[in-house]
Formats: sequence, structure tokens, C-alpha cells
Amino acid sequence: MMQEMISGMINTLMGTIMSNQIHVPVLEPLIKLLAQLPVGGFMVSLLFWKAFFAALICPGFATVGILLLFFPWIERKLCGRIQWRVGPNEIVWWLGGIIQLLADTIRFMFQEVIVHRDAHRPYYLQFPFLTFIPTLLPLLFIPAGSIVAIRTPYAIQIILALVCLFPLFILGLGWASNSRFAFIGTVREAFMYFAYEIAFIVAILAMIILYGTSDLVAINNTGTWGILLNPVAAFVFFVGAAMATSRLPFEIAEADQELAAGPHVEYSGIGFGLIYVLCYEKAYVLAGLMTVLFLGGGSGPALPGLGELSGLIWFLVKTLIVMTTLFVLRVIYPRYRLDQALSIGWSSLLSLALVAVVISLGVFMIGGGAI
Amino acid sequence: MAVEDEKNRNVHILRTGVLSPLKRWGVKWSLWPCHFVTSCCGVELAHAFASGFDGERLGTLNMGISRQANFIIVEGTITRKMARALRVVWEQMPDPKFVEVIGACGERGGIFWNSYNLTRPSDIVPVDFFVPGCPVTPEALLRGVRAVQHKIEGRDRTTIKFKKTKLPSEPGKTCKVPTSPKVLAPTPLVKVDVGRDVDWSSGTELVKDLESRLAGLYRRITITDVNRIAIKTTPEHLVELAQKLRTEFGFDHVKSVNVIDVPHERKFIVEYMVSGYKKELMPVILNVFAELAREAKPEIASLASLWMSADYSEREMHDFFGVRFAGNAGMNYKFILAPEVNTPLRKDFKLEDESYVLEDNVPYAPEIKPPLPAELELPLPEGLIEDAESKEEFVVLVGPHHTGSGHLRWILRIKGDVIMEVIPDPGYVHRTMEKLAENRLYIQNIPLFERANISDPISMQLGYVRTIEKALGIEVPERARYIRTMMTELSRIGAFFYDSGIFSLFLGHSTGFMYVWAIREMILEAMVRATGSRCTPTFIIPGGVRRDIPKEVIDMVDNFTSAIHKRLKKFEDIFIYNPVFIARTKGVGVLSRADAIRCGIVGPFLRASGVEYDIRKVEPYDAYADLDWEVTTGDAGDCLGRYMGRYEEIKESLKIVKQTVDALRRIPRGEVISEELLGDYREASEDIKGHMFDVYGNLVLPKGEWTTVTESGRGTLLYSIVSDGDSNVPYRVRIVTPCWMNLRGIVEASKGERVADFWAIYGSFGYFPPEADR
Repeated sequence: MMQEMISGMINTLMGTIMSNQIHVPVLEPLIKLLAQLPVGGFMVSLLFWKAFFAALICPGFATVGILLLFFPWIERKLCGRIQWRVGPNEIVWWLGGIIQLLADTIRFMFQEVIVHRDAHRPYYLQFPFLTFIPTLLPLLFIPAGSIVAIRTPYAIQIILALVCLFPLFILGLGWASNSRFAFIGTVREAFMYFAYEIAFIVAILAMIILYGTSDLVAINNTGTWGILLNPVAAFVFFVGAAMATSRLPFEIAEADQELAAGPHVEYSGIGFGLIYVLCYEKAYVLAGLMTVLFLGGGSGPALPGLGELSGLIWFLVKTLIVMTTLFVLRVIYPRYRLDQALSIGWSSLLSLALVAVVISLGVFMIGGGAI
Repeated sequence: MAVEDEKNRNVHILRTGVLSPLKRWGVKWSLWPCHFVTSCCGVELAHAFASGFDGERLGTLNMGISRQANFIIVEGTITRKMARALRVVWEQMPDPKFVEVIGACGERGGIFWNSYNLTRPSDIVPVDFFVPGCPVTPEALLRGVRAVQHKIEGRDRTTIKFKKTKLPSEPGKTCKVPTSPKVLAPTPLVKVDVGRDVDWSSGTELVKDLESRLAGLYRRITITDVNRIAIKTTPEHLVELAQKLRTEFGFDHVKSVNVIDVPHERKFIVEYMVSGYKKELMPVILNVFAELAREAKPEIASLASLWMSADYSEREMHDFFGVRFAGNAGMNYKFILAPEVNTPLRKDFKLEDESYVLEDNVPYAPEIKPPLPAELELPLPEGLIEDAESKEEFVVLVGPHHTGSGHLRWILRIKGDVIMEVIPDPGYVHRTMEKLAENRLYIQNIPLFERANISDPISMQLGYVRTIEKALGIEVPERARYIRTMMTELSRIGAFFYDSGIFSLFLGHSTGFMYVWAIREMILEAMVRATGSRCTPTFIIPGGVRRDIPKEVIDMVDNFTSAIHKRLKKFEDIFIYNPVFIARTKGVGVLSRADAIRCGIVGPFLRASGVEYDIRKVEPYDAYADLDWEVTTGDAGDCLGRYMGRYEEIKESLKIVKQTVDALRRIPRGEVISEELLGDYREASEDIKGHMFDVYGNLVLPKGEWTTVTESGRGTLLYSIVSDGDSNVPYRVRIVTPCWMNLRGIVEASKGERVADFWAIYGSFGYFPPEADR
């Protein structure tokens, strides 16, 4: 009886795992070989279980880690190029300084963590870690090609809810720091939140109207490039993303030259290390969302032999391009003032977002229903 | 201060533990210097991290905040005020942390070795590596970073030990100890209004007019030189006289406030250099002075309410001499000096003299008393916090360690997002030039003064040298005049690029910074080829220039002008025509013509408010009168106007450089130093090398006060030298730099603007703190 139940459960589990496998023709022989080993088969099928793969490998945890290690290097090199210089290249010179961020990470790890007397100690120490909740969780819902951890018809809404939590944690950081610059930065962060949030959400709403669903996998499967159907919404989304990740010209809360990094002015050591990479994670989430909503997600010419990984690669490439664009903004634009950013958010951006809704409705009417 | 115990502590942290190799590797490649610019070597620091040298190659990333950095690069002079900041910043940084000191001042004091405001960084923080140089080159700086990396790695670098050798002396011959070349009159005769017969017809009329309308208020009116009039009055009549000058004659600003201490006659001479921006008054400078008894607490009425431009200079004089200006709001606290320094410019405050023979057991440089008091905080003006709190305002202290502060502290009183008041707290780079100049030969002061502003060194030298030339009545040879003009204009362009880079950085635009600093590298290259030094060439000497410039260098300068034109296009595209830049600067920090004159700003910033005052046109010197160029003025008076005005001016400067290059190709090589000055050393007229001291060592200026104004990169630069006619050192040198005058402009323009605008305004004024603090 007991044994039957257990074997039944295992069978159900295996069934779930096996029914949702990633098919990679190139790796097929290898998988078959490994399947003959006693535990290997289970391990391999677990690894290639879409939910597991998406959450822990790509676009989830492992990718984020690798991205955080190498993307800042890409950014620094690229910005260096634009600025007539070379960027980090002395560390492992034959690789062009590619492991620069590894050195920085190690340095952060071993740096003293200072908690100053005026800080609210528990919150001050918690918040850098808590911030990872809203920045990592959305990755469960973003499909890379057909690979997604959790498929739900409410994916966009959940991601939006989490994305809107970003500023809350920054406010927490700034409040716990209890410093004057952190205070001003925190207030600015709160203001900036109001500047982009509504326009940003309305632009996404326009896309939901266009696609007729908020299931990201379904949207991804349509393979349409939303940016062609509704460029206005794409623009509003992009500007909103720049504001949300506080990139120049909207890097107003951090404003290095004005507020000396605003909310995180007091953090040192690994605390600052975590905050330093935070904006890259935020950018990754929003760029991923933009890829799915506007750039056709994982659609693209199928790469021979890679099966479903082909979509994943296209997704990653597009996401990286969007991210790079977001980050290169910082060498092109100076910083807006807070009131200017607010007026951009509330007047231009919001009206553009409404125009985007109208465009979506128009496409909806002409096309005779959702895509 | 237990600096000795702290030494190498941080390296030890890295040597302990199982993971120490990993730790060392990580820290080695991730030395983030905090953005703590302490003195003028900061210019070269910026060059080291700009496109030319790109310090980021080594993994060093300039970080704004001490908490997130682990490396301080101390740039040169640490003054008493800055010493506190340095200690605070060092304490704020997380372990393990490292310190590199660059510049000669950081080691033994360099050229400021006997200054009263100097401390040694090694007394304040543990130093890991010293890089000598004044200023250091960026290569040397980066090599210093490398050395720190090696130290972290564990590769030991023992520092150089000087070998002591005994000089062989011939038997039977006694060695003579060299004596000081200085000649000091025991009771110098100080007279600031020595009359002279000059050919100046409008001046005689003006004097007559002054005499008739100021009857009873003055003691004596003298013409001291062309365009210079001295009015002697008494402290009681000073205010009334000033009022009349201002309202009836249109003398609307003060160029300088000066105090001269004459202890043996038991008096102070308080001077106001007054001028006006009416067309006919522009070149005229009135020296209104009064003699004040040298009592315990000398006091004179302040003229700050009449001429706002006198305000900060009065505070400065109060710091220096202890003369109270009754009615000035800043008399209850030290404005630019640290609290423990009192009345240093009085003659009874003696500085250490040079020693010419190094004796055993006697330290080479003067002992500096423990520089740091227990209290590291520098006091705020009294009652500021309480007053702000009662008005529901928020006080933010910006600097001196702040990415957007420069080397001074700004006290911002803000309400919401609006600035109610900005209070400057300067003096963090006050290297006491005026005092040091009183203890050196005239010729030794040229390198001293050029260090006031190493981003625009030639103008600084030119101003001082012109004052000496004026006093001695020397004519400069034609070729030297053109070389000077060319070098001054190059220096002006360099100063603009400096400010432009800082401005774009303040607006958060690092690309603008990188572009102009890359262009600036060319100017410095031209400087090196022509003079041998990047920033401190000491090229201009009384009577001409130090040596002739070869043809190749002139050709190179010609090529550079066209290259700069080409690169400026790219800079225009990315920065000047950037919509965000225009949105940030247009209509921000507006100073109307009247306001600009009232608060006494000078130079291109004044011209941006619509005053057509350029000394190169008003009182032409060198070759400016022979060249074809125009003064740039605007009437917007906002940040964009100030910036674009300067930008247009630079284009004119490039035009001037082009013309001087053509002229220098035409004029035959040869004499570049005035022959009447060289005397017996005629053969040195092409290159002074080897005869500098012979010719200039015993320079003595005629008795009286000599004042010149020069148009430097950032505006009017005033030198006023008081000579007693006997000593070969000046009795008093007053130098008023444009940035010191522009300080008031920043304060006035910021009122009522938004917080973020402060940096736009600050950047647009091209404020260079070492120049202001001197």
C-alpha cells in the first residue's frame, strides 16, 4: 500500500518532469548515455525540466550570476570606447580584463562592513539582502523562448507588482541609513517612482490590449515584434525602464555629483557590493520583459540542432542588447533635474502612454481582434 | 595621533587568514580611490583618470564616497583645514585601505615648505607610497598605484635611502657658508601713493573732478601711474567717501581689499581698489586707503553694504590681520583660516627662514606641531543650525570630500527642493601665497604664484611679471610679446577645457569630461614642448620669456589648433547640443547685469551678463592690440550663457593663437628678453639658462604700490605689489584671483534655485578652489 503510494508519487513526479523536458537534438545522444546510469537519468531529466532549468539556470539564478560578473565589464569597456579610452584591461591582460568584476567582488567580500552609529542597525543590514526579493522573483515568470519556470495567465501583473516594489526597498535602505544625503536621495527616489510608474503601467496595458492576454508564454509564442505594432508603447516602456533602474538621464536619486550616491551613501563592503549589482539585476528583469513584450521574445531563425535552446539564445541576445542600450545611455546624456524628470513623467510620458493605448486599440480594431 | 601604529596595518590584514592570497588578489585589482581632491595636483589626478592615461585600466575606479572606496590619493598640499577632512575621510573608509601621497607638498611641503598653514599627510594618516613631483605627471601617479599594488601583493619595495657623503675640501681653504641673498630694509618706508608725472590727460581731469566733489573727505589725491589714482582718507570719512564715489562717480565695484601692516610706524593701511564698469572708468583703478592705528583690536567701518564685491575680501583680511570691519556679517568666525591660526599676515608672525647648510641632527624641514586638534569638526557659523531649524530648513554640508564640491565646503540651506542660501566655507587649499611671497625674492615668487592655478599657469605668471615690468618700466621684445600671447591663449584654452570637463561631470556627463580632457592633453603637450613642463612651466620672466620657442614647436601648435577645432565638433555634438544639457542650464542661475556688477563677478562670467569688459581690449598688453579678435559678450546671464560665452571666447583664442603662430614665423628668432634688464648678460637674450640668478637675483622695485590687472582664463587677475624701494623681497603682495571674486556670484546665483541647479551654477562659474584660496 505504502510502496504503491510512493511509487505512484514518483511516477507522477517523473511524469511531470518528463512531460516538460527541453528538447535539444544535439545533446540527445549524451542524455541517452547518461540515462543509463542509475541516478544520472533522474539528474539529467531534472536539469532539463523546464521549470527547474528556468528558475536555476536560465533565465534564472545562474545567468543572473554570470551576467553580474561580466556585464559591468562589458558596460565599462563599451563606455570606455565611447569616451576615447579603453576601460579595465590590465587584470589578465590577454583576456582584456574580463574578470575585473571578480576582483571587485572578492574585494567587497573581504572589506569591512561599517554600520555607523546613527543607522537603524537591523534594517540597515537586512535591506541589501531583502532587495533581491523583488529583483529575482520576476525571473520566474519571464519566458526565455518556451522555457519558463511558472506559466500563469497573470504573469505580467505579477511581474509589475514585483517591479513596483523596487523603490520600496530603496526607501528602506535610505531610511535605515539615517544620513542627510541618503534622506534627500530617498525622497528623490520616491518622487521618481511617481514619475514613471503610471506611464509605465499604461504602456504595458497597451501591449496587453494588443496581445489580448497577459500570459507571457502565449505572447512569446505569437513571435510578433510588438515594437513594430506599437513603437510608442515601446518608447514609453524603455524610458520608464531607464527611470526605474535609475539610469542617466534619470539617475536622479543616486546623483553621484549631487548626493554622493543618495540612498546607499553609507553602505560599505559587501552591503554596497549587493546594491552596486542591484541596478544590473533590475535592468535585466526589465530588459527581459521588454524583449518578450516588444522584441518577439525568443523568436528568431531556429539555430540548427539546438531545439528549444535556440529560443533561449535569441532571448538572451535581445535582452543583452536592450540592457546595453540602457547602460550606454549614461555616456550620452547628462542628468535631468528632479522637477524636469517629474514633468517628463507626468506630461510627455503619460500622454505618450495614452497614445500607445489608442494605437493598440486601433490595431486591435483593424486586425479584428487580438494577435 | 598614533599614525605610527597604524602604519602597514592594512597590509597585515591582507596577509592573515587562509584566504589571504585571494584577498590580496582581489584588493590589488580593485583599488578604488575616493574622490577626495585635496589640492592642485588634483588636475593631474583627473588627467590620470581621463582618456589620455585612463587609470581605469588598472581596475581603479574613482568612487565618490569614502565608505565605498579603499584608496585615498592625497593630492599635494594638506592644509590645516584639509588635514581634518583627510583624517575624517580616512576614518570613514572601511579596512583594508591604502594611501598614496602625490606631489612634493605631501612629503616635505614642496614650494610651500615654510607656510603657516601646511601639515604633512604622513602625520595624519599612514601613507603607503609617496610620488614626488610638482605636480606629478599622470604616469608617475599611475606608477604609484602600481607600487601600492605591489605592496599589497607582498613584493617589498624598500624606499630609497640617501647616501651621505663628505664633500672633499681643499686643504688650507676654509669653506664659506652661503648666506641668504635676501636684503631686508630694517625699517622699510611703506608708501602706497607715490606720485608720478605721467602723460594722462583724462586722469588729471578726473583728479580735479574728484578733488572738487570730495572736498573735505580726503587727505590727498595722487596720480600714481597711468590709470591709477590713490586717495588717502581717514577711517571716519571712508564710508561717506565711498558712498560718493559709488553714487556720483559710478565706481560700482571693488577689485581688491588690502591691508598692509606697518608695525614700526604702528599702523595698518587699509586699501580698497575701486573701479567702475562705465566705459570711461573701465581702465581706472582708484586706491582708496586709510591709515588705522595698530592697536589690540583695530576696527574700521565695512564697505560691504555699499560694494558687495568687498564682502569676502574683507572677511579674508579680517582673518589675515585681525582688522575688524564693523558691519560685515562674517566677523565672528574664521572664513578661510583654520581656527588655530591667528593673524598670520602681520609682520610679527615670522616664518622659518631657509637654511643653506644641512647640519647633523637638525631636521631638513621645519617641525610642524601636531596639526590635528582632538576636535576634527570645523565649526559652522554660529547659530546657523538653530536658525535653519526655526525656519524649517534643512542644512546640508557638501564637501570638502564630495564628488561635486571641489576643495571647499558648501553649506546649503534648503527648504524642500529649493535653495534658500548657500554659504561657502573656503580655505581648504589656502597655501598662504601672500605670506610666502613676502619672504622670497621677486623672481622666486613666479613659480610660487603659478601654483595658485596650475590649470591656467601662464596667466598667473604673466600677471605677476607684468606688475614687475610695469614697476621697472621694461619694454618686452616683439618676439617675446607674441610668444607670451600665444602661451597665454593656450593656457586660457586649457583653463576652459578644465572647467568644461568639471562642468559636464557636475551634470553627470562623464563623456563630456573625457572628451575635453583628451583635447586638453594636446595643450599640455604643446606646453611641454615649448617650456618643458605640463602645468608649472615658470616660463614668463620679467623682460620676456625664459627661452625662445623653436620652429617645430610653433608648427606643432599650429597643427594642434586645427586638431582642436576638429575634436571640438565631436564635443559639441555630445555635450553642448545635448538637449538635456540645454534643459539643465538654460534660464538657470540668472544674474542680471546689475546683479553681476554688484556681486563683483569678473571675466567671461561678467561678460555673459552683458558687461563688455575685457582687459585685453580695455588696457591692451603684450600683442593683443596688434591682433584681430573680438570680445564675446552675451546678455542672458544664465548658466548656458556663461558657458557658451566662454566657448565662443575659446574660438577667438584659437584665432589669436593662429595669428601669433603666423607672426612668430615672420619675426626672426633671437632676442626674447629685454636687453636693458640683462645688462652685462646680453648673450643670454635668447635663453636665460645659467644666468637667471645673476640677472634677477637682486631685482628691487621702486618705492610704492604697483597694481596691474590681467585677463586670465577665468577673469580679472589683480596683482598689487608694495615695495619699500630697498629690499629685494616685496613688502606685501596682494593677489586677487578671479575665482575668489566669482565665489560671490555662485552664492548669489544659487538663491532660490533648485538643489540640483546648484551644481549647474557652480560648474558654469568655472570655480577652481586652489586659485581662489591661493
